[in-house]
Amino acid sequence: MPTVVLLDSSLSMTRPVSVEGSEEFQRKNLAVHGMTMLFEHMATNYRLEFTSLVAFSSLWELLVPFSRDYNTLQEALNNLEDYDKTCLEAALQGVSNVVQQEWGTSCPCQVVLVTDGALGIGRGSLRHSLQTVKQRVDDKKFPLPFPFPSKLYVMCIANAEELQATDSMDNLEQLINLNGGEGQIYTMEGPLCLKSVQSMFGKLIDQAYSPFHAVLRCGNLTSDVQVFPRPEPVTIDEEVDPIPKTVQTDLEIVGFIEIGDISSPPVLSRHLVLPIAVSKEGDEIGTGATDDTEEETSTNQMAGKSPNFCVLLHGSLKVEGMVALVQLGPDWFGMLYSQADSKKKSNLMMSLFDPGSEPLPWLGRMSQLGPASDAAENPYGEDDSKSPFPIQPKHKRSYAQNVTVWIKASGLQTDVQKILRNAKKLPEKTQTFYKELNRLRKAALAFGFWELLKSVAELLERECTLLPDSAHPDAAFQLSHAAQQLKLASSGDSKYAAFEQNITPMLTDFSGGGGADRI
Amino acid sequence: MFSVSHKTAFVVDHCPYMAESCRQLIECDMLTKSRSQGVIPLAPVSKSLWTCAIECSMEYCRILFDVYPTWKLVNYIVSDSEVHILNSWKQEDQNTHELMAALAAVGPPNPRQDPECCSVLHGLVAAVESLCKITEYQHESRTTLMDTADRVANRGRIICLTNAKSDTHVRMLEDCVLETIQEQNKRAAGSDRLMPIQQCELVLVHIYPQGEETLVSDRQKKELSSMLSSEVHSVRAGRYLASKLNVLVQQHFDLASTTITNIPMKPTLNVFEQEEQHANTSANYDVELLHHRDAHMEFIKSGDLHMAGSTSRDSGLKETVTLKWCTPRTNSVELHYCTGAYRISPVDVNSRPSSCLTNFLLNGRSVLLEQPRKSGSKVISHMLSSHGGEIFLHVLNSTRSTLEDPPSISEGCGGRVTDYRITDFGEFMRENRLTPFPDSMIDAAGRTPVERAKSQLERYTRYWPMIISQTTIFNMQAVVPLANLIVKDTLTDEDVLTCQKTVYNLVDMERKSDPLPISTVGSRGKGPKRDEQYRIMWNELETLVKAHVGTSERHQRVLECISACRSKPPEEEERKKRGRKREDKEDKTEKNGKDTEEKGWTTDSERLKGVMEREKDEQSECEIIKDSPDSPEPLNKKPRLATEEQQPPEKSKGPVSLLTLWTNRITQANSRKHQEFAGRLSSVNNKAELYQHLKEENGMDVHENGKATR
Repeated sequence: MPTVVLLDSSLSMTRPVSVEGSEEFQRKNLAVHGMTMLFEHMATNYRLEFTSLVAFSSLWELLVPFSRDYNTLQEALNNLEDYDKTCLEAALQGVSNVVQQEWGTSCPCQVVLVTDGALGIGRGSLRHSLQTVKQRVDDKKFPLPFPFPSKLYVMCIANAEELQATDSMDNLEQLINLNGGEGQIYTMEGPLCLKSVQSMFGKLIDQAYSPFHAVLRCGNLTSDVQVFPRPEPVTIDEEVDPIPKTVQTDLEIVGFIEIGDISSPPVLSRHLVLPIAVSKEGDEIGTGATDDTEEETSTNQMAGKSPNFCVLLHGSLKVEGMVALVQLGPDWFGMLYSQADSKKKSNLMMSLFDPGSEPLPWLGRMSQLGPASDAAENPYGEDDSKSPFPIQPKHKRSYAQNVTVWIKASGLQTDVQKILRNAKKLPEKTQTFYKELNRLRKAALAFGFWELLKSVAELLERECTLLPDSAHPDAAFQLSHAAQQLKLASSGDSKYAAFEQNITPMLTDFSGGGGADRI
Repeated sequence: MFSVSHKTAFVVDHCPYMAESCRQLIECDMLTKSRSQGVIPLAPVSKSLWTCAIECSMEYCRILFDVYPTWKLVNYIVSDSEVHILNSWKQEDQNTHELMAALAAVGPPNPRQDPECCSVLHGLVAAVESLCKITEYQHESRTTLMDTADRVANRGRIICLTNAKSDTHVRMLEDCVLETIQEQNKRAAGSDRLMPIQQCELVLVHIYPQGEETLVSDRQKKELSSMLSSEVHSVRAGRYLASKLNVLVQQHFDLASTTITNIPMKPTLNVFEQEEQHANTSANYDVELLHHRDAHMEFIKSGDLHMAGSTSRDSGLKETVTLKWCTPRTNSVELHYCTGAYRISPVDVNSRPSSCLTNFLLNGRSVLLEQPRKSGSKVISHMLSSHGGEIFLHVLNSTRSTLEDPPSISEGCGGRVTDYRITDFGEFMRENRLTPFPDSMIDAAGRTPVERAKSQLERYTRYWPMIISQTTIFNMQAVVPLANLIVKDTLTDEDVLTCQKTVYNLVDMERKSDPLPISTVGSRGKGPKRDEQYRIMWNELETLVKAHVGTSERHQRVLECISACRSKPPEEEERKKRGRKREDKEDKTEKNGKDTEEKGWTTDSERLKGVMEREKDEQSECEIIKDSPDSPEPLNKKPRLATEEQQPPEKSKGPVSLLTLWTNRITQANSRKHQEFAGRLSSVNNKAELYQHLKEENGMDVHENGKATR
């Protein structure tokens, strides 16, 4: 989940805060302090997160494009300049563009807005934007809700009382509501000082940037892992089940399936599964600890040298071309597989399926998947030539069952032509002739199209009279028999017009056994 | 889940006036070239209003059932002087074949029936009653939700195909539906199998013959009450009706259209029979598909819809997104990052291009689809693929991934270990593949198949060393039969016999002093002595079997067999004594191991490994320390040099003298400089027996002598 930090660089951010002691702080300094803390946290514990930095006043500027280089981000923070007034709408539009250009519209993003809560005056102020939000024409729409799934965190370098004194708080709340309620407003508690800004950003980190640690389990084989990006709670049906489902921290493998059988399933999200070493104190020696202290390096080396289940699993999944089905919670599953990137590096990846008992129709109900060895007969065949997947649905889809559709005249004409073409090749084509004839008969009966039956009967009768002298004698018999049967059906007489009944070829002296088989 | 589209009631008018012709003529007597002249063509046929209504509603249902085989239900009602309800909400009734059969039984309207006693009203009343009936899905949800069962809503739609007399007639029909809903809701409140209707959409389609003026005016959707909204469509019969219902099914079920363009008709792809009338058509075909709208989400959100799409050829009204066919090159199985998969239904199901495409897919090939872009870059955004006879449009992620450039797995924990049992775990995965079981399959213990799968994994991994150098028995072909059987939930007597045979076989190997595949990672030599190797092997085998001893009495018998067989041959009196002592200690260790529960085997095998390594490393160390589970594993091992079979016989007898140490070292260093004599290699206590072949010829067993006492 990439992050955009949107920093208010308007003049009001330079307002001084009164702090006991000699040094005088600006709100901007507090903001930078908080963001530094955030970046430091990410660099150590959330290193794979892409973050970009946008500064705004009446204009906006992309200071750092999406990057994992937190030094660059930090540097940009140190070189901030001060500009004019606050104009949030344009900046949010900017964020929307920046994100869409980089990630499209399906990738969820977090937007961290850092502001002093002075949201501008007059045109371009948030108050003005919100007042006119309903009077927009199509191309001047308010940027919220963002077209991509998002969370909007507002970090106010101000305390709640200050914001409530004006309508700033109301406006910010309205902003979150416009984003579908996705997001949260953080304010500072107590006096504006370094300590309270730390505690505010600390809350944001806990809320949005705490790493997700879990135990990957395959029977008795286990590994401590970090799942990145961390899986977010999912709500399937707001009405019937409004409680969001969360991924449990015990990821239990239930079995294995071939890649061909699981066959590019649709997934909610993808996550890296990174093995982590948990030392005795319970601290994790991160997958990406950057500290180069000797102690850590040697612990890391040790971790690299002791066998880890993730590595074994990854290797075998890759070699065998299989995926591991993993249970994420009650009635919620995902899959583990080896994912190689362009640089020939590969990783253990986990994809989450939609929560529910049957996320993939071709696997059937997840709870009904059991060990192949329990089956009476090996479903994969003795030589691995078979597979129990995909599961066949009870009814075939229309495109797989030769349905009759006469909505276009050409559909009807083609079907009549098929019959006539086969009629000319009787008795060789007796089987196909009756097959097509019965298909037409069934459809005509269902559609109440008796006139067509009469018409085709006449066509067949005429065909009979036009038979050349060289024709097989059987042809004439079959044609007149078929015509007569169609006429009888067109009467609607239940004896002859039953839907499930078929016209069978007439048994003649000429037809012998071959042409007279039932169809 | 229970939106208006959960239940659709079709009400089709079967009154005498529906037998009227739609006045669109279809020529079905197409003269072909070969026909002799002078034959008078047959009169063209024309469908009745009824036939038009039926085939268009069937088409609606066909698309619906293709795209939503479950959860979206249709109840089909025909109305004349009475009501004919052709199916129920039950899932098994939801297919066009059943409906066609039922419609054939009803037959076309009888023009001679008394129009006075016929009305579509009967059908509308029945539709409302039917909407009150609970579906299987509603029932299931209510049962599982228990206390919050009231979250399950009851909504539905009535699509009425009729020929109305006037706007007043339409209003009368609407009023009647509204009244019936109010009436039925009262009834439903007191019943378990009925639910009051919360929301109902009435869609009235007035059908009139070609060339006539319509007596009913179109009307947009209007709220008649909080429960009922109604809209009126006045449509000419025939293809106008067909395209109207096609638009409606898209609106009602959030469908969108994609046109696959540039489908080639190369001989390899061509599944058509060559037929005369299509001889001069172009080489590339287009096929239009319907599917859930979400498959276009990326276009809709990014505003690319207009750019990517063009208008459909059939009706100027609806939009379709055009995607280009990319001829698949390989048949390789790949796991694409796919964010959605939606069932499709071809708009023109039995046209040649459609059936060509669908048959190609049903035969198991997948087709990638490319988004036509103004700029040069090629973007694959979708994939068509069939699973079990159903075709899905997969949405592929075409934007930058946030997971790019991750640290490679070899850089992380365990990444430097090189001797993982990758092949063995691959085999393990094959043995633990999943398969679907019928819904009623619950075993004696009441476990679902997926629970059984988990418990199987638990059993199979009770003792499963991850790296080759951690294990001996799993590197031995001879142990395979036992290792495969012991993990099973139940053993037959025959299985026990197989296990016993395996054990006897091992005993035999030991007797013959066959070499064991003890890990010699990091060393060029053979590792520990042969009898020590066997001791390690037996210990490991016992660990494996002990992990399963609680499973059944037969598992216990396998362990007993091992314990009995591994006792030492009588000529090794001294060793035996020592062995006892050692086993006592091991028993204690095992007990300790059990305290730490499932991790027990890890420490045990860890210890084994430690034993081996220490033995290789520090030959001077005495047995007692060697066997102590508490002795720490040396952390930074020197790169191990060759350790030859130069272990002095005195080694087992107590502390080693400085001289021995020194001699060993020198010999070791020297041994690296030359190839060892074959005789010394196979020597026992540095004594090689000469002329062995003579003994063999004399019928004496070499091995007996080879295994001299020490």
